[in-house]
Amino acid sequence: MKKYTNLCIVAIGVAAFLMGCGTQNESLSKGKELIKSDKRRKEERAAQQFKLAIQQEADNAEAHYLLGYYDSETFYEDGDPQKEKASIEERGKHMFLAYQNDKRKYREILVFETLRDRSPEVQNTALDALKRIYKQDDRKKLLNSLKKAIKSNDNRDRHDAQWVLAALGREDADTIIPILLDLLDYKREETRLNAVKALGKIGSEKAVPNLVQIVNSGSAKRKRDREVAEIRRLAVEALGNIGGAAVQELVAIVQNKGSSMRVDAIQALEKLGDERAVNPLLEVLSDQGSREVVVQF
Amino acid sequence: MWKGILCVILIGAALGAGGCGDNRYYDDRLQMEVQQLDSDLDNRWSTTGVVIISVKGGPASAAKLEPGELISYVIGERKVDSRGSYNQAVKQAMKGDNNFILKLTDGRTIRIAVRRKGDQAGLEVDGNRVSKVTPGSPADTGNIKVGDIIESVIDERNIKKIKDYKKATREFAKHDSKVTFRTTELVGIKIATINALGNLGDVRAIDLLRGILESEGSTLRQPAAEALERLVALSQLNDLFQKFQNANANELPADRLDAQKRESAEILGLLTVDLEKNLATLNDPFGTQFRHRSEALYEKITDGSMVALAPKYIQREVEPDQEIRRDCISILGHLKPTSAIPNLIAVMEDNAEIPGIRFQAGLALSQIGAPAVDFLIAAFNRGEASVKDIAASALGSIGGNKSRNVLIQALDTIADPTIKLTVADAIAKIGDPTSIQALRLQKQRLPADSGLGTFLSELLKQLETQSM
Repeated sequence: MKKYTNLCIVAIGVAAFLMGCGTQNESLSKGKELIKSDKRRKEERAAQQFKLAIQQEADNAEAHYLLGYYDSETFYEDGDPQKEKASIEERGKHMFLAYQNDKRKYREILVFETLRDRSPEVQNTALDALKRIYKQDDRKKLLNSLKKAIKSNDNRDRHDAQWVLAALGREDADTIIPILLDLLDYKREETRLNAVKALGKIGSEKAVPNLVQIVNSGSAKRKRDREVAEIRRLAVEALGNIGGAAVQELVAIVQNKGSSMRVDAIQALEKLGDERAVNPLLEVLSDQGSREVVVQF
Repeated sequence: MWKGILCVILIGAALGAGGCGDNRYYDDRLQMEVQQLDSDLDNRWSTTGVVIISVKGGPASAAKLEPGELISYVIGERKVDSRGSYNQAVKQAMKGDNNFILKLTDGRTIRIAVRRKGDQAGLEVDGNRVSKVTPGSPADTGNIKVGDIIESVIDERNIKKIKDYKKATREFAKHDSKVTFRTTELVGIKIATINALGNLGDVRAIDLLRGILESEGSTLRQPAAEALERLVALSQLNDLFQKFQNANANELPADRLDAQKRESAEILGLLTVDLEKNLATLNDPFGTQFRHRSEALYEKITDGSMVALAPKYIQREVEPDQEIRRDCISILGHLKPTSAIPNLIAVMEDNAEIPGIRFQAGLALSQIGAPAVDFLIAAFNRGEASVKDIAASALGSIGGNKSRNVLIQALDTIADPTIKLTVADAIAKIGDPTSIQALRLQKQRLPADSGLGTFLSELLKQLETQSM
């Protein structure tokens, strides 16, 4: 009996291997070879191979991903219809198609690898694909990946997740803001820092009370209740980006004479240019200078 | 028994928790509330102290203490009438900082500082009279002599935490009917505020900033001058904002706006321009609010008081700060008052002034334009090399027949090669057919390999490219 079982396993293994070989798309292989080579215009030529691979196999996830990754408008002359197909949106669509054909794998690749790419074009393509996943597919799993990334011990993952969450939050603040607010209590300092940055970029007034609380935590008696100065400074900057209802909070920080964030709040108000800042600032100038005062008991 | 212990623990915990969360303190005696500085501000730039949050009345109010003041030192004074009171006062005052101040009846106040805790001041008293001074001791160095009469011991306490404040006021209240607070102005906050007011472009800031500029010895004068300069620059964009105001819109076709002013407004963060779409959009809230305030700012800036004020502070004899002189010259360049021409010429001719500032005066004169031409020609004719250099450059920028003719004549008559270069450059800036002809003639007269010849060839080449 055991003999038969072993035989079965080996047979299945061989069959799987052969099937794998059979499904390897020839154009895809050529394209990948080109990328590895040191040939001239290798990316441009590889992109053509990936296009052929997709023509042969419309649901080849890897070919879609690689086309999204390597294609570029710079390869084509003006007026060439291929140029339009190499826009960030079109490339993002290909990465999204890759995801649709192998969701788990490409969700992780997009979040933890593609966003790290040095090229801003590739980063924007990945962002486009992630936005499509968020709008059209399983947003819960995507958000879990992004949460994992922003909590990661790798700075690049945290930064990339912050960037994507901010972009998603600008379109769907109701979902993203609560996630970021939760992260403000996370144990890793850099995660909290990135959450504050993202809240500033989203610019929603919903984040104002939490950001104010962070800024004011500097006066907490117990060290563990105080947020670090850098995050508090970023929280002030975030309030400046939000504007609107945040203006009066920034004014309150300026008026809190014990706050270490007054200069930052003044600069945030200056950058924002809201006229509600003028009177409180004029009041600051009328504050007393250094002096000695005798008080009778 | 257990109940008792539990009670004690609970009360202790409650007190501990209450104390922990407390970074404010209401001083019943003085009737004011103070707050501790944020932990990260504490000791930054040597800043320490507690901030007055509110003054309810009573002694604090009578002394005119104000909310916002940072109390960095609490100073107490203890009368000396016996050896015992002297020793006790000194012991108390030396705690923490190893120093104290003696106030003598002859009016002198002498600070006595020892190196280490426990070191002696080197002084003995009989009643309040100095009976012995140890040679070489801090008292001896402080020039205290036997026979001096001590009136009191002054104790200055640096305040870092609420508890320091509480302790100092409580102890001083025991021995004296008064206490002195030394407050620290947070200059950094005021500088940031002045910078912000300079950029916010609001008319309400002008009088205050002008007041600071006119005050004496304040460290805030220079930022105030800079802020005023920015407000003046901003006021010069009024035409542009009136276009938005008249159309009652926050968006206008970009080509309807003066290109230079449009660019300035964009740099100042008031406007975003999309040339492809031919659209200029006011940034919200800065630009959208400023369009309503622009006219008031313009009217205030041009009401004559700035023009009256600035010439005073461009004079080296009056204003020692070169940045203030620069800012005020720049203000005159923006406002272009003909009344300031003699003052600017004086700066331009001032040999002891920094060359950069003299050139800036020349630039301001060129901004004033035609009315400055006669003054510049006179300065050019009477001045030495550096004055000729600046005046020629300004005349070239202003242009016009009169400037051109003077410059062309100078090109023939002046021998100094450096000034000849500036004059040629100024003529090229005017760039009309007569100017070009004059440069060509000059070139023909020069040997081909001369420095000026090469320079003229370059200038003529540039002019030809421009006219193509």
